[in-house]
Amino acid sequence: MAETPEMAKKVNTEQKFDTQLIEQLAALFKTTDLTEIEVQNGEIKIRVARTPAAQTVHMVQGGGYAPAPAASAPAAAAPAPSGEAPTKPKTSDKALISPMVGTAYRSSAPDKPPFVEVGTQVKQGQVVLVIEAMKTFNEIPAPRAGTITAIFVDSGQPVEYGEPLLVIE
Amino acid sequence: MFDKILIANRGEIALRVLRACKELGIQTVAVHSTADASAMHVKLADESVCIGPPAAKDSYLNIPAIVAACEITGADAVHPGYGFLSENARFADVLTAHNIKFIGPSAEHIRTMGDKIEAKRTAKALGMPVVPGSDGGVDDEQEAIKVAKDIGFPVIIKAAAGGGGRGMKVARSEKELAHAVASARQEALAAFGDAAVYIEKYLEKPRHIEIQVLGDGQGNAVHLGERDCSLQRRHQKVWEEAGSPAINAQERDKIGKVVANAMAKMKYEGAGTIEFLYENGEFYFIEMNTRLQVEHPVTEAITGIDLVNEQIRVASGSALGFTQSDITFTGHAIEVRVNAEHPATFRPSPGKITNFHTPGGLGVRVDSAAYSGYSIPPYYDSLMGKLIVYGRNRNECLMRLRRALDEFVVEGIETTLPLYRALVRNPDIQNGLYDIHWLEKYLKANEMPES
Repeated sequence: MAETPEMAKKVNTEQKFDTQLIEQLAALFKTTDLTEIEVQNGEIKIRVARTPAAQTVHMVQGGGYAPAPAASAPAAAAPAPSGEAPTKPKTSDKALISPMVGTAYRSSAPDKPPFVEVGTQVKQGQVVLVIEAMKTFNEIPAPRAGTITAIFVDSGQPVEYGEPLLVIE
Repeated sequence: MFDKILIANRGEIALRVLRACKELGIQTVAVHSTADASAMHVKLADESVCIGPPAAKDSYLNIPAIVAACEITGADAVHPGYGFLSENARFADVLTAHNIKFIGPSAEHIRTMGDKIEAKRTAKALGMPVVPGSDGGVDDEQEAIKVAKDIGFPVIIKAAAGGGGRGMKVARSEKELAHAVASARQEALAAFGDAAVYIEKYLEKPRHIEIQVLGDGQGNAVHLGERDCSLQRRHQKVWEEAGSPAINAQERDKIGKVVANAMAKMKYEGAGTIEFLYENGEFYFIEMNTRLQVEHPVTEAITGIDLVNEQIRVASGSALGFTQSDITFTGHAIEVRVNAEHPATFRPSPGKITNFHTPGGLGVRVDSAAYSGYSIPPYYDSLMGKLIVYGRNRNECLMRLRRALDEFVVEGIETTLPLYRALVRNPDIQNGLYDIHWLEKYLKANEMPES
């Protein structure tokens, strides 16, 4: 378990954010060809991104990781509703699937670089992500050596059991 | 009131809880194993989280995964349904530590009632009738005779260290007692290395009658009458009635009052059931279930009270919305548990339901998470659904049950529907003349038609 003070820090403040703003941003997608918009207002940073098939909204608190306390969770992308077209491969031999439910983080601390990026060469057993559940950070190792060709999760994103996290080829 | 409830269960009970949440305007989170991705409760919930592989120990019994699912969805309460973690005191403790409300009684009450000896001691201390017997072990024949005379024959001698029927002997008279005590002691010594035995009153043809209670944890509690669950196979209930064909309004009021007072005294919170054996006008405490029960809909039918709604309201801190005098019992209800099993061999029959048609009409309720095209996974229990029928009296109820059973179509798998079609036409059932051994004897004597 790699638990650093920064990561364990809990964000207790209510995250007040403008849902109207997100709706406006989402509406912008319809009229433009943009696939990603990011705005920052004080401590709150909102990033709205989409792929051609689906649209996801993530909110990241500027000050540090929020281990998804009850008050801040709703803004995070909920597990994909069944009606939505999947943007990730359901299963793939090369995809690393999540062994647990929790909140994924791509680095050991907010100010640290990500464990891996697309293109990173990894060794078997090398930590590629951490997943936080019940205030515990669980390191997710690479099941084999290879190159990261895709990453499906962002820091602070909730993940389900069996959800593809990234692809190692 | 809660904003979002996570339903830590599957099948028909997950759907039952989901329905109550929707009617209260509460957001729902379904959790599921990989085997249940296409389950009805997952389709109907506002959000769903896959919490693990098919094996229940890795999914529906996986406390860290369920708490993590609460965290990522922001659920502020968990309804455990029945089975799985519903009577797990540690689960209640862990949720409390994470500021998530467990919809049910306190961990302390779950623990007390989950321990058989402690439960009986508590029940006795709270004034509930228990099976009379020697309080401790009996060492010799003289003592045994004294105890047996006090409680009355027949008596059963049980190994103190025992279980599983070994070291158990029935004595019907003083003459049989000496031999029964000696051989029980011998058997107990051989089986458990301990010759200590105790004596209890032996019930020959008891009925299983249980009382539904509801408490608000603030010292208010009511009873919602009884359910007769005597029709059992291998200690599994298959058919439940409210009220019991065997007890009258005075008996109901009397035992109900005793139980409600006991629950008020212990400040019990939520729904609970006190199970009794009933014979010759006397009730004997068996155990308490500190959760919602499979057969709760028959109580709902005759009282008009939505038990899951009340569980949620009470868990959110509300006091009971009614007193005992507000509760009335009207008509009669019967539930049959439709299992995905062969009706004669009871061999489980998982697989794809190719055609599913449920009965309808006045007084008919089907609680089931099945649908045409749904595949019943082989990993969990075989309960496919429950048919609950209500009538103004028992006779109307039985005729309606007969009609509803004949309308029910489930194709692609085998179900226990043919068993119920036979039972509803049986004179003993029609007359309400059955005890907890009746069904086993009936099954032994009757070859069921192949479905």
